[in-house]
Amino acid sequence: MGGSYALLVEGLKVWYGRRQVLRGISFKLPPSSILAVMGPSGSGKSTLLRAINRLLDYVPDARVEGRVEVFGLDVYRENPYRVRRLVGMVFQTPNPFPHMSIYDNVAVGPRLHGLAKSRDELDRIVEWALKAAMLWDEVKDRLHEPPTKLSGGQQQRLSLARALALKPSILLLDEPTANIDPTNARRLEESIRRVAVEDGVTVVMVTHTPQQALRISDYVAFIYEGKLVEFGRTREVALNPSHKLTAMYFRGEL
Amino acid sequence: MPPRSVPREDRLFYFSLVPFAYIIIAALLLLALSITWKALPALEAYGIDLFLRNVWAPREDSPGDYGLLAAIYGTLVSAFIAVVLALPLSVSLAIAVEELAPKPLRGAIAFLNDVAAGFPTIAFGLWGVEYLVPFLRDYVMRPLYSSIGFLPTFSCEPLSGASLLAAGTLLAFMVTPFMTALIREAYASVPFHLREAAASVSSAWYQEVLLVLGMIKPAIVAALLLGYGRAAGETVAVSLVVGNSFNVSLCLFAPSYTVSALIANQFGNATYYPLMPEVLFAGGVFLFVIGLVINWMGVRMIERVRWVG
Ligand SMILES: Nc1ncnc2c1ncn2[C@@H]1O[C@H](COP(=O)(O)OP(=O)(O)OP(=O)(O)O)[C@@H](O)[C@H]1O
Ligand SMILES: [Mg+2]
Repeated sequence: MGGSYALLVEGLKVWYGRRQVLRGISFKLPPSSILAVMGPSGSGKSTLLRAINRLLDYVPDARVEGRVEVFGLDVYRENPYRVRRLVGMVFQTPNPFPHMSIYDNVAVGPRLHGLAKSRDELDRIVEWALKAAMLWDEVKDRLHEPPTKLSGGQQQRLSLARALALKPSILLLDEPTANIDPTNARRLEESIRRVAVEDGVTVVMVTHTPQQALRISDYVAFIYEGKLVEFGRTREVALNPSHKLTAMYFRGEL
Repeated sequence: MPPRSVPREDRLFYFSLVPFAYIIIAALLLLALSITWKALPALEAYGIDLFLRNVWAPREDSPGDYGLLAAIYGTLVSAFIAVVLALPLSVSLAIAVEELAPKPLRGAIAFLNDVAAGFPTIAFGLWGVEYLVPFLRDYVMRPLYSSIGFLPTFSCEPLSGASLLAAGTLLAFMVTPFMTALIREAYASVPFHLREAAASVSSAWYQEVLLVLGMIKPAIVAALLLGYGRAAGETVAVSLVVGNSFNVSLCLFAPSYTVSALIANQFGNATYYPLMPEVLFAGGVFLFVIGLVINWMGVRMIERVRWVG
């Protein structure tokens, strides 16, 4: 079941302690598509992403029910490290490792997963990932400096490069452009689009701006108080939202 | 200094604290100066040789011949053995508490650990004499001596068992709770978003743990330094298990001495021997200086654990 989908979520419920945050979410996403997840603050978007790649394992009192499949692989029955290799994530706050150089931040994943057989190959992966994240030109002469000297937006792109270096099948992005100026945000959108089209990566991206969703996504999901109130092809939803909350959101009234 | 824009009450508060800070600094300076002052006659009489020669020939009628090398060597080596043994123990304990222990147990283990860190040292010493020393002699030193005794460090036959190795091992037990507490605290302070990053790039749990340990490396080095400082200054427990004999030998099974044990053992009768008190004060200066240097480095290291983002 779900073999032809990149991502299948079925009846997903999440609790933090006794408080239920996701209340039964189901959707299917075909490969190489971009899904924009929208919804007001606190509606459960970040929780949904963390449920998909099992980072909720790290929240001590989080409980998950339901089913998540990644290319037919049952995420909650699989080795979580294998899941996270397939499902990369870029977080709301940039989080490069402060104790490693820029280069090592990108190389660490391939190293730990044994993806490169030689130093040259590792160099190529790092360069490719930094270019894909559109950071290469800015850091190519300072690869061995610590990432703490980079700006917030650069650190965010470094986090993206670190995720891309593992060649994930699915990429989860939690408001990746929130800390970046509009020009850079556009370029990052472009590179996300390219990663999806050229490398066949399926992208799930949380965004707060309907315009961004319209620009780059194939599908949109709208979450409100832990429920998926709208899911569909972006153009159809934008033109003809089936739920009045979505309509209000697209008009900027929420 | 507080920034200029700080409200007046806060400035008052700040300046009311200043005297106390200076009293502490002044007391420390005074301590250092008075020990050095008392040690000066010995330093004048023997010069640098006081720290480089191994002799202990007290006389009652005239100044004897003294050189602290054996005790200094014993201090440095036993503290070194202590941290070498305590480091893997502390790191494993910190990981066990932070990663493996069930949530409700963590607090209890942490509490026990902190209690152990403040345990009276004489209790460690008595346990060491009664149980640790015979155990080490029979099950560690003798087997090592008879199997790989050709190595210089294991080349002497253990007699009572009181030795550098016994002192180092006992010190390891004594500094482990302290070092564990430092490492555990640093481990727990790693921000959640960096932990998530470590989880995202690792292909196994141990790699993730190693990544986190990498982030807190300065704290681990600090624990090593501060643990070394503590071990080098420890007195009573060590004097019970070190053997109290003036030896400078590579062999870890030979009875030895440490500076603080020497001071504790000899000071009571030192006044009968001209210059012996001054020599012991010079030992105190030595301890003060290495304590100061090592702790200063350790504290500088801790300051390097700063989280960004
Ligand atoms: N670790 C946690 N423990 C308890 N409650 C949490 C935890 N993380 C999030 N929550 C709560 O769960 C709800 C959903 O949080 P989530 O971070 O998924 O929202 P979000 O849609 O990503 O919001 P935002 O747009 O502000 O990032 C919020 O009410 C939040 O307070
Ligand atoms: Mg969020």
